[in-house]
Amino acid sequence: MSLANRMALASPLIRAVAIEANEFPRLSNQFRVRGVPHTVINRRAAVVGALPEREFVAAVLEGAGVAVDEPREHEAPSGPTTDISG
Amino acid sequence: MVIPEEVRQQLKERFEVALSGPVHLTLYTKPGSSRLILPEGFGCPTCEDAREMAELLRDAAPEKITLEQVDVTRDSERASTDGVDDVPTIALASPHPLPVPPHKGEGEVAYPPQKGEGGAGRIRFQGLATGTEFPALIDAVERVSRADHGLRDESLAALAKLTEPTEVMVFATPT
Repeated sequence: MSLANRMALASPLIRAVAIEANEFPRLSNQFRVRGVPHTVINRRAAVVGALPEREFVAAVLEGAGVAVDEPREHEAPSGPTTDISG
Repeated sequence: MVIPEEVRQQLKERFEVALSGPVHLTLYTKPGSSRLILPEGFGCPTCEDAREMAELLRDAAPEKITLEQVDVTRDSERASTDGVDDVPTIALASPHPLPVPPHKGEGEVAYPPQKGEGGAGRIRFQGLATGTEFPALIDAVERVSRADHGLRDESLAALAKLTEPTEVMVFATPT
């Protein structure tokens, strides 16, 4: 289960939508999806690649316009990005 | 979509252990759609497979998992109310009471449903959840059943800073 889904389970203010990018090319083009995972927050900010929990939460808050503290510890990304632009 | 009996049995055995509370699935589809791939917005080539997948989940634990199917061609208003733009979409609802966020007082009701949430739940899978998304869907069912988000306390504290509904769309591919 993605972090986004777990966040939606934890916070009643979050709605998480996992989208099969190939099945919705118009939507993927609209949000310039070139690699996955590609996360779009409130349809205006995006983050590409799999991030560890702390950084993902910070990215979602930042995308939602909430001021956040910078992560104090660097964590290695939990997974690679897959290029689907070919 | 042919789902082997072995997979059905494995899922039943897994859910017997992993599920605790009920989970309600809502599947938004265009029943009877051809498998023919048409321009986006027309038809729904994966709706039939999505129905089979949703029924697979329900049938693996019918005492815990309920499934409602919404035909968006007949009930577009329902899809609109629930904030569903495309099909197939599966929404998962948690019947567990929502936790009261830290900045709210004890006894206060948590947040009201988001606009466009309806009663369908805030965890959705749009498109056929195959490949890496299928395990994610299974895990989502199990976590919703257990009300187990598994996030760290510091993440919960950070999320409590949210004051407005927030949509997080995660694009993925089957492979």
